[in-house]
Amino acid sequence: MTEIVLPGDRICAAEELARSKKVILGPGLRRENEQVIACKPGRLHHKEPNTYWVDNHQQRYVPVKGEAVIGVVTAKAGDIYRVDIGAHDQASLSYLAFESATKKNRPDVNPGDILYGRLIVASRDLEPELVCVNSSGKKGKLGVLMDGFVMNCSLNLARLILRENCPLLRELTKEMPFEIAVGLNGRIWIKAKSQRETIALGNAILAAENASYEEMPKICENIGNILFS
Amino acid sequence: MSAKKVRPRLSKGILEMKFMQRTKAKVDKEIEEAEGREMYSQEITQKMLNSNSNYIMEPSFVHCENLIEGRLSFRGMNPEIERLLELEQADKLANTRHEQPTEVSDKDMASFYNAQQVTMQKKFQTKAQFKAKRNNVEKTKWQNKKARFHKPQEDDV
Repeated sequence: MTEIVLPGDRICAAEELARSKKVILGPGLRRENEQVIACKPGRLHHKEPNTYWVDNHQQRYVPVKGEAVIGVVTAKAGDIYRVDIGAHDQASLSYLAFESATKKNRPDVNPGDILYGRLIVASRDLEPELVCVNSSGKKGKLGVLMDGFVMNCSLNLARLILRENCPLLRELTKEMPFEIAVGLNGRIWIKAKSQRETIALGNAILAAENASYEEMPKICENIGNILFS
Repeated sequence: MSAKKVRPRLSKGILEMKFMQRTKAKVDKEIEEAEGREMYSQEITQKMLNSNSNYIMEPSFVHCENLIEGRLSFRGMNPEIERLLELEQADKLANTRHEQPTEVSDKDMASFYNAQQVTMQKKFQTKAQFKAKRNNVEKTKWQNKKARFHKPQEDDV
């Protein structure tokens, strides 16, 4: 059950629930005293037991602490790298925020490189800060992305791909082996065995933006047929 | 007449002394806190101080929509990432699988431990208790039988 809300609309269901228990307000909702008001136009979602959020179409990324994003290194400035993540300001990335990096042993990162990093500082008054290690100092899945191809898309598509029940990646896997990094800032990095396959993969992903879950297998199949015929 | 007892202030001279350093730090902190409270007293409303709101703000979609991690690899494209994914999957399975099939039913286990308890109790009872119990307990069939000499049959020998 989804409902369209506009900025300024009061979310009475959330207010009702808040009288008896805790309510989690996700993106697109804000609280004015005891009123819950939508601040973005979009579809109101509710997840049991107590979460409400608004899913809206958006291209501009607003950094959020803890999210994984794809950035392009634009400059090396002393101890930090400047990374463009498509937000209001360039993110900074310390050269020590890589696995096994020390003052003497600098990571090999150059302007123009593509990075998959996690935001640890995201405030509207400060510049965002990225890291390429997890809390235990291991790189995990973060780090420089070699080769491949980056495309920009809406934030919605990035989230769509990452939903647990989305069949897109599962269906694409049947067609070809590939590697993907989805940044929540609306950037998708893909890499397949050949250029042809990479382009086909990119097209399939972009075509899936407005497709329903039922249509996705068909899109993937079509791409596969074109590729290997 | 004030009910509160005003704590005596230590003089500056004493606080400067070497053995008073810890007290000095404490006093300084108290003064600082008092100044801070005064400074923001205009901006902090009573509501902010004693409001226990039922709302929690969550700025990220990741938790709302249960998004998965965005770095994936399929069919051996990047073995390093795939290994990590496998480990994660195994972790997830281990966390979700609470109920393991049992070989022994709960009832059986209860009766077994009950029996164990009786056995252990026997070990710690005194001789008097043992005898008393023995007299009280109804004797089973074979205990009731009086021991008697049975003449062996001829072909047994």
